[in-house]
Amino acid sequence: MEANRLYKLNRDKLDQVLDIWNENSSVYIPVGKGRDIQLLPLGEGERTEDYINLTLPVKEMVFEQKEGLFKWTRDEEGIHVEGLAHQHSKDRILFGVRACDTYGVAYTDRFYLGEFPDPNYKSRRTETTIVAVNCLRAGEHCFCTSVGTGVFSTVGHDLALTPFDSHYLVEVGTPKGQGLIDRAQTFFTETDEGMLKEKNNLMARVEESFPLKMDLTNLWDDMAKTFNADFWLDEAHACIGCTGCTNVCPTCTCFNVVEENTDEDHGQRVRYWDSCQIDHFTRNAEHHNPRDAVSRVRYRIYDKLKYIEERFGYKGCSGCGRCTDVCPTYISIIDIIGKIQEAARENPEPPAIHQITKIRHEIMDREIKSQNGLFSPDVATITRVKQETPEIKRLFMKYDDPELHKNYEHKGQFFQVTVFGEGEVPLSIPYGPEMTDELVFDFKNVGSVTEKLFQMKEGDKVGLRGPYGRAFPYESLKGRNLIFIGSGVAMAPLRTIIEPVMSNHADFKQVYVMASALRYEKLLYKEEMLEWAKVPNLTVKYALKYPTDKVDAYSGYVNDLLPDLDLDWTETTALLCASPERIKKLARDLMDLGMKPTNILVTLETHMRCGAGKCGHCKVGSHYMCVDGPVFNYEEMMALPNEY
Amino acid sequence: MNDLSDAEMILVIGSNTTEQHPLASTRIFEALDKGAELYVVDPRKIRLTDFAHGYAPIEPGTNLPMINAMIHVIIEEDLINEEFIKNRTENYEEMKESVKDCTPEWAQSISKVPADTIRQFARKYATTDKAMIIFTMGVTQQTTAVKSIRALANLAMITGHVGRPSTGINPLRGQNNVQGAGDMGALPDFLPGYQRPEWPETKEHFSKIWGDFSCLRGNNIIQMFNLIDEGIMKAAYIVGENPVLSDPDQTHTMHCLEKVPFLVVQDIFFTETAEYADVVLPAASFLEREGTYTNTDRRVQMIHKVIEPIGDSKPDWEIIAEIMKRIGMDANYEGPSDIMDELNEAAEIYGGITHDRIREVGLQWPCLTKEHPGTPILHVGEFKRGKGLFTVNDFEYIGDQRSEEYPFILTTGRVTHMYHTGTMTRKVWTLALEYPEGFVEIHTKDAEELGIKDHQPIRITSARGSIVAPALITNRINEKTLFVPFHFAESPANRLTGQNLDPIINIPALKVSAVRIEVE
Repeated sequence: MEANRLYKLNRDKLDQVLDIWNENSSVYIPVGKGRDIQLLPLGEGERTEDYINLTLPVKEMVFEQKEGLFKWTRDEEGIHVEGLAHQHSKDRILFGVRACDTYGVAYTDRFYLGEFPDPNYKSRRTETTIVAVNCLRAGEHCFCTSVGTGVFSTVGHDLALTPFDSHYLVEVGTPKGQGLIDRAQTFFTETDEGMLKEKNNLMARVEESFPLKMDLTNLWDDMAKTFNADFWLDEAHACIGCTGCTNVCPTCTCFNVVEENTDEDHGQRVRYWDSCQIDHFTRNAEHHNPRDAVSRVRYRIYDKLKYIEERFGYKGCSGCGRCTDVCPTYISIIDIIGKIQEAARENPEPPAIHQITKIRHEIMDREIKSQNGLFSPDVATITRVKQETPEIKRLFMKYDDPELHKNYEHKGQFFQVTVFGEGEVPLSIPYGPEMTDELVFDFKNVGSVTEKLFQMKEGDKVGLRGPYGRAFPYESLKGRNLIFIGSGVAMAPLRTIIEPVMSNHADFKQVYVMASALRYEKLLYKEEMLEWAKVPNLTVKYALKYPTDKVDAYSGYVNDLLPDLDLDWTETTALLCASPERIKKLARDLMDLGMKPTNILVTLETHMRCGAGKCGHCKVGSHYMCVDGPVFNYEEMMALPNEY
Repeated sequence: MNDLSDAEMILVIGSNTTEQHPLASTRIFEALDKGAELYVVDPRKIRLTDFAHGYAPIEPGTNLPMINAMIHVIIEEDLINEEFIKNRTENYEEMKESVKDCTPEWAQSISKVPADTIRQFARKYATTDKAMIIFTMGVTQQTTAVKSIRALANLAMITGHVGRPSTGINPLRGQNNVQGAGDMGALPDFLPGYQRPEWPETKEHFSKIWGDFSCLRGNNIIQMFNLIDEGIMKAAYIVGENPVLSDPDQTHTMHCLEKVPFLVVQDIFFTETAEYADVVLPAASFLEREGTYTNTDRRVQMIHKVIEPIGDSKPDWEIIAEIMKRIGMDANYEGPSDIMDELNEAAEIYGGITHDRIREVGLQWPCLTKEHPGTPILHVGEFKRGKGLFTVNDFEYIGDQRSEEYPFILTTGRVTHMYHTGTMTRKVWTLALEYPEGFVEIHTKDAEELGIKDHQPIRITSARGSIVAPALITNRINEKTLFVPFHFAESPANRLTGQNLDPIINIPALKVSAVRIEVE
């Protein structure tokens, strides 16, 4: 690759070059004045060179505010799904991008094109060429030199232009960039590395002129000591949830999916930019929200300054200062950095465990074998319906394309189940690998999608994506005592692992299933439990609030039963599914009995949307619950910020 | 607006500025950054109170006693601006006499604001050079609306806080173009440019432009609905308004809409009010038309068409012009700039404002000629009427008060992510998700007493009607006081509000209704 070739281009020839490029591509140029600068197609406005930066980061050209994911139609034959990843007649050349934005694109490339590649981003990005023009002056809130992403572009560009009095120094970043040179080669004169010295001198002068310069060397240490600092409350008071900051951020990648239906037989699923600065971003059913106003505001700052870099190795903040420019209540990431440093100096807390524990959850190397791309579900037909409890149903289904069952590997913890026209929900897989031609889901009727699922009958069609998530580590459980604790519908995720344990019970020592609910009728898998109890080394214990004559049950909490179990606790693994508060109480009691936190496995069912670590809703600290979890051991759980 | 950021003291009364006028509040934050002090009067601990140097948790509907008491304190402690009073105002002595007994202790007994807080507010306001008052519907939607505003004018005049940068009493407009609509004469008692129909020169002036016309004062919306009810008014043409949700006493409103023999509704979406219409005229949205908006600053600004009107919709001006033609009137407008040209002639204050002049940046009226630079500050050097007139504004209770049957006072308003009756905002997924439903704010203590849990649906009943909405328990509202946003058709706050009107201008007291709670 000839990535480092250097050229000179006369400044007065630039427009001719752009015209040549525009013959086979759409060239976008900066148009406007003051702070109102847009990238517009060549010819739709006068090109300006007098601008600090684009109003919106160039990200909007590769990850659009609204994008179609797939469309579906229903006819006599069934439901047809078609992926909608962008296809364009002409590729785009984006001219005049600043270093903070090329850095942003370098990060979004890593984010979207890494594990679980995003088909929409991929197709758009492949057809985009980025020409950076380096800055010669700083805006009021520019601080790229402090974070180290600027002032001149180093990554993310295909070509980088540095303006000198009469010419540009043109640096080739990629073969795509070299392609642009080749298309207008008469205008470019190859030059040698001597020019780089001039460039570096110029860069030093520009950096010198930056009004803002912060020393961020110890920032992560400082952040660990100020997670609960008082000033966060002031910031939270100021935020009105307008989402301006995230809308203008070059590294914000979160989205929400929305169903847009033409009629009851036609519709599409689209995604829109979403924002972690709004209450509903993490709000679960029944008003539970793991993030309050303080953690919401703090999360954005930690994500930008730490979590993104921790996970992906790229700066999460490129120092463009746009979020500070747009905030109507003057929340400023620059001021906050100052407050963090001041609080760490003057009033440090003991470092927060979740900020100093280095756990890098590797995303499993797993490709989703969907026919239409990551975000398009495959159609399945319901084969049987079983009413488990008054509120819980079990659906059996088969893919319409039986080949998909063959592709399916029993990995993962949950599927994303689509009700066409209504939406999608994550549902745990309550069965083992022995089921090779049928899928089974248990669910409680709690929201609009499950409400529709609840009405479904044999022959109805749904969409499936998955499986996703990290499952319970079956192999490592062999030879140990097991204790399963789940209440009500929380038993469903545990059944994934109970089934194979049942079939291979000789591989395990003593196994307990602790079933708890308000009353017996509310229990999931009542009949199955009676069957399980017949397995020689398996015992089912019931803890119910109200007495029953159906089984021998203890009246009270599961916790009370634990000390009397005949178990060598050091040889035991516990598998829990419950609310975080219940998990903590159970884990504490289990550890009192002698268990190690690494032997307590939990599943954290949070606000998952895409399942593939892209939409951002289930991110806790630098971890994505949907791909890193939902199964964690208790030590890992305790190393997460308490925002799940 | 920019003056706000240079103020040294800002008194916000009856305005949830951060949430309802976020960009105006940006200027407040700028001022705070420069060291200004902020004082807030509101029955709810609104977001601004977190940044305030003083907070007066006022009983809804009792602004007037508090303002009069502030004037009392300023006079008593001799903090008045004598020179300003002498040179620029008249009738001071009579006003002074009228607030003689308005002590802070007296005001406390009515408004529940501690007397010392009133003193603190008064002293700070009087002794700060650049002190600005910001108010909105928390002052106007009460039976004492006019008196309260006149009292605020008294307050500003005794301290000389008028006609200079970063002073004055500044109402923030609740809609992007409510100022413009008023300027254009979409008011019952004014022709364009605030010319009274009863002034003799008005008819003469407008007849030159329009030909002969009746030139009579009209009825306001409350009166119109009553006239419908009485069978006198036989047709209504409602443009861009959703009175089923926005007007007081919803049951009465619905009854009148049911009863009116002919109803035309013109809007961009099919609203709750359109349900009652005989004819619905689809209007184009702001993105689909040209024209101007006049903002809270009296700044006339262009809007530019981004997309063509969708479906059969048309810009409002075009629909109105078509109707004019069909009833035999001249309406030869090529576009909004022709209408602006006519307005140049019709309204002195718009005399020099043309589309060409405002294409880039707006102009603030009064702008009398094509060369006039516009007027950022009113009342510089001289009031419109000459001398500033001090008025006497005695407080008396009109309308709802707490009683044994209705022990709570309900106040209404908006939330950040919703606009008015939700016609537009409830159709946007992200806004709709942020506030999927209405709610009732209730103080923690009251909720405990009544055994109400957070999010539990509760029934609120007034003499007019009854709604059910989930409780939102908070200590950021006065005790025995409730707040319901009026955006939500499922829990319409205005089913509870009534027709207690300000006796002078008939604005309904939407901010004060006596209610009771029933736990379902």
